[in-house]
Amino acid sequence: MLNPRSWPLSLKFSLTITAVVAGVGFMIGAVIVVQDWWRFHEVLGEKALLMAESVAVTAPKAMLRKDFWTLYLSLKNITSHSSVEKRQSQAITGMILDAKGRVQAHLQPSKHPIGLLFSPSDENERHLLETALSARSPSVLSGGELSRKGFQEGVVPLFSDQKYLGVIRVRLSIGQLYDKAQYSAVTVLAMTFGFVIIGSLLGAFASQRMVKPLTAVTLGLEAVGRGDMAEIAPVPVRQRDEIGRLSATFNKILAALAEKKTLEEEATMSEKLVALGRITAGVAHEVNNPLAGLLNCIDTLRKHPNDPELIKRYLPLIEQGLYRIRDIVGSLLVELKVEDSDHPVSAAHLNHVLELLKLEIGKRDIQIVWENQVDEGIYIQGTRVQQVVLNLLKNAVQALPEGGTVSFRAIHEQPYIIIEVSDNGPGIPAQYRNQLFDPFFTTKPNGTGLGLWVVYRLVHGMGGVIELGSEEGRGTRFRVVVPTIKIGSSPDRVGRLPCEG
Amino acid sequence: MRLAILFLLLPWIASLSAAEPQPSIKFGLTAVVVTENLRLLDRWSQYLERRLGQRVEFVMRRSYREVLDLLNSGGIDFAWICGYPFVQSRDPEFLRLLTVPIYRREPRYYSYIIVHRNSPYQTLNDLRGRVFAFSDPDSNSGFLYPLALLSKHKESPETFFRQTFFTFNHAETIQAVAEQVADGGAVDSYIWEYLAAFRPEITKETRIVKRSPSFGFPPIVSRIGVKATTVKRMQEVLLKMNLDPEGKILLSEFKLDGFGDFPPSLFYDIRVMANQTRKVLSQLSTVTAP
Repeated sequence: MLNPRSWPLSLKFSLTITAVVAGVGFMIGAVIVVQDWWRFHEVLGEKALLMAESVAVTAPKAMLRKDFWTLYLSLKNITSHSSVEKRQSQAITGMILDAKGRVQAHLQPSKHPIGLLFSPSDENERHLLETALSARSPSVLSGGELSRKGFQEGVVPLFSDQKYLGVIRVRLSIGQLYDKAQYSAVTVLAMTFGFVIIGSLLGAFASQRMVKPLTAVTLGLEAVGRGDMAEIAPVPVRQRDEIGRLSATFNKILAALAEKKTLEEEATMSEKLVALGRITAGVAHEVNNPLAGLLNCIDTLRKHPNDPELIKRYLPLIEQGLYRIRDIVGSLLVELKVEDSDHPVSAAHLNHVLELLKLEIGKRDIQIVWENQVDEGIYIQGTRVQQVVLNLLKNAVQALPEGGTVSFRAIHEQPYIIIEVSDNGPGIPAQYRNQLFDPFFTTKPNGTGLGLWVVYRLVHGMGGVIELGSEEGRGTRFRVVVPTIKIGSSPDRVGRLPCEG
Repeated sequence: MRLAILFLLLPWIASLSAAEPQPSIKFGLTAVVVTENLRLLDRWSQYLERRLGQRVEFVMRRSYREVLDLLNSGGIDFAWICGYPFVQSRDPEFLRLLTVPIYRREPRYYSYIIVHRNSPYQTLNDLRGRVFAFSDPDSNSGFLYPLALLSKHKESPETFFRQTFFTFNHAETIQAVAEQVADGGAVDSYIWEYLAAFRPEITKETRIVKRSPSFGFPPIVSRIGVKATTVKRMQEVLLKMNLDPEGKILLSEFKLDGFGDFPPSLFYDIRVMANQTRKVLSQLSTVTAP
């Protein structure tokens, strides 16, 4: 949930709308505040200049007469007047200096006595003083920007008959301007905050409405992915925009899918019936074949009950036929048979199959390559796996000509055991490969066609897979992957194979 | 109905009386009185008008010199001036002493040398190299007296003080010292005491470091050439002001006891001091007056 990529679309929409509203609000607010600030700042500077200029009207004459009192009063009147009239700008200070920088009048007379050099200790102040004294035209100086101590200073040089007499400096505090800017910034912030709340509520509402059909489509598609067709209700189509069209299309697809699924189920059912029919037919056929011979034998024996010659000849035939029937029935019931006795055994038990394999080979000239790399501590469903391996090995031996090689290889790859049975026989022709695991499919004259079918059913029953690799003239290889068993747990918990399908 | 006609006639009557050629008496005022108190001056002029039966117009100028010039040119008939301009020699003389206010039972006042309340200065000598405020170059208490003090030590304002300036108003001199624009100042004791009563927040900021010997109180003079009857009537009205209740109230607001008839010799001290000071200063070969 922390990853924004996984957030719901409605949240993202409303967050985006909120961000846009907030961004625009803050931008406009900031522009207004900054613009206001600069405008008032400029106005304040002009006001300071105007005040200095109004003093400058009478100042030169008074300076020439050394009429310090008039100079002082004119400074004082202009500044006290302004602070009473508009509390917006307060004069911090005002002074009149002569050409050498000596105080002619100062609003703080006790600190800056008349006739003494105006010499501020502060570096910035000294710099401002130099600037003011070198000014030859009215100008505005700024200092202590963007703080309550900031100021705007009007500087007006004084001339009499083009002779430089000195300078008037009137300094207005931007303190109140600063407070005002702060106030408006807070106001704008609060307003933006309000807009953001309203905007995000509206945004949440709008996006909820817009995204609702999408959410329904997404949930529907997820259900399709799971295969729960029953859970899906058609998405209501309210609008004719893209989302509306999407919903409509989704509904159509849904209907088609439902139809397809019904058809598939029907097909599966009929396939099952076909398979059942085939098995029934196979069983009937396979059992019928020896039955005819057996009945024949019994009939003959009944006609000649005392002919030992006949008994000697026919009894083995009857036995053989009955065995065959038992084999067929046994194969059909293979799962029931192994289920009773199946308990976890060590993978090392697979080596018992080697003895059986040797018996099967008998005196034929066939090489065995046996490689069991699975540790003792690994457990498998012994009887089933043994049966699978034995069936595969028997098939291989039967397919091999004299001088062939059959090989067995088992390895462990947690949580599976991989078994490979291969031979260098003639291989399986391509046209047979699809029916290889079908019941009663056989290429051998005496085969039942149930060996590989049993293998398939056992492997499938264990939750494993079986793969076939065969090349005509070069050999065949079966690869079986089955889960191992943890002692004390059922094999089902091990998990499904990734390649199973 | 009759009343209504009277009301209708009123403007006509008023315009008639206005059209009547009635020359007003012009009375010059200087910084020796607190000229800012305009309502009191209005009431005083109305009082004088009623007593004299003639319009009285107060004329105010920035400096004593301007008022004296007006007297000389006939622009005004009477003036309340300072003892120092009164004793200055004029050729031809155009002033005549009319009456002298009585202040605290005497026709006398002082010059105060004042400094700021928090300043360390204790004497005039401590103010060497400082800024000093004078009231008016023709003021006795506000200029001549401190000048005389300096001249005794063979000093002039230019040599003794770092800077000096004139405020042309005793009240403003007090303000200049109170606000520390000037380190010291010389003022009229009457004005200082008057302000101490009515605007103590200003005088509270000042401290008196020296009080002069007493001098003749700034007198009221008439211009030579004003009709004798007018002069006589004005003198009588002023001298009797303390005898009627209304005049008494006005006088008490001026903080005066009344007006008295005194000889010009009252100002002899000032004349002597002015002559001595002028002599010393000319020896110092420095021009003092601006």
